[in-house]
Amino acid sequence: MGMPVTATVRDPGFDPRALDAAFAELRAVDARFSTYRADSEVSRLARGELAPGRASPLVQEVLARCEALRKQTGGAFDAYAGGALDPSGYVKGWALQRAAELIDARELCLDGGGDLVLRGGPWRVGIRHPLEHGRLCSVLELGDGAVATSATYERGEHILDPRTGRPARGVLSVTVTGPELATADAYATAAFAMGAAGPAWTAGLDGYEAMTVLEGGRVLCTRGFTGRSPRAHVVVRAKAA
Amino acid sequence: MRALTALIVTVAVVVLLARFETEPPRTFNPNSALGPVKTPRALAKQIATPPPRRSGEGTRSFLGPAMTTPFSAIQVRAFFTGRKLTGIETVLLSGDGPHTEALNARAEPILRESALEAGDADVDVVSGATSTSEIWLDSLQGAIDKARRRG
Repeated sequence: MGMPVTATVRDPGFDPRALDAAFAELRAVDARFSTYRADSEVSRLARGELAPGRASPLVQEVLARCEALRKQTGGAFDAYAGGALDPSGYVKGWALQRAAELIDARELCLDGGGDLVLRGGPWRVGIRHPLEHGRLCSVLELGDGAVATSATYERGEHILDPRTGRPARGVLSVTVTGPELATADAYATAAFAMGAAGPAWTAGLDGYEAMTVLEGGRVLCTRGFTGRSPRAHVVVRAKAA
Repeated sequence: MRALTALIVTVAVVVLLARFETEPPRTFNPNSALGPVKTPRALAKQIATPPPRRSGEGTRSFLGPAMTTPFSAIQVRAFFTGRKLTGIETVLLSGDGPHTEALNARAEPILRESALEAGDADVDVVSGATSTSEIWLDSLQGAIDKARRRG
């Protein structure tokens, strides 16, 4: 899926070989779901060579969840956003969640390209600033759960609103926290696509909290979002002579 | 009409907070028929022990009065940085029956608003992917190459 995945384990005496199963699972999911591999199940589905009803149970599970999310978001999350089937927006978080379940550790942070599955903790999570490179706009302390952030960053507009086919406007970044990463990621993507209507939509989510940074610098958080100012956490680093 | 009433409650409280500077408010929206109402007994305990709240540096929080309508009660905590209203938290929102719940669902959400900040903090991990993911990989590859060269 073209993203770096990093596992951080704090358990003393943890054997790194215990990560092998998790990374094997990520590779297996990639082989099945990748849109870049012509022989993947998803590519065969997208070309119409495989009927959805004959897909494997795992693919059917993902497609059913994508469809439920499309309905829940009024089409702002859509695995067919680009025309052809591309469930990557859901599969990435789903795969990380599955991989995390294979890691027998009490203190775990699994980071897939800035989307996180957390266990134990509390973990101090910085939310990347949407405009200032290398800086943070919020800091959270979280235990078990997941964090997903959708943003444009320096690449410019690259999140399309499936309902219009055009780049989503009005929002710089959306961070969603909650129990499960794939859902948090889909919600973040959908809220981003909704633009200025996104924050009010996130306030109605059950079990998930969100922070939306709007163009112009307004930040809107749902009631349970626990992020705090990064200024309250400034660390003075000693400079090497 | 009742939904409108619930919305007016929210608006009245927000208007109240907008006027709220350093002292608890003593005036209410003159256009509203709403005023402070005696706290129902069942809610008193909740009001007396609001959830603990950690606030950021230089931020003060103030609890507004409990406002009630025939259908619901609402109380908010406001966060100020200096004299600027930077956040609103609903610490109490209750009522009786499905009718009230429906009204409340419509009167909510109140989103906390703040200004975008930038800081550098000591964190374990950062959320938010960037094209730096590729740079990150390049950098890692460079480090691996260097380690290999040094054998």
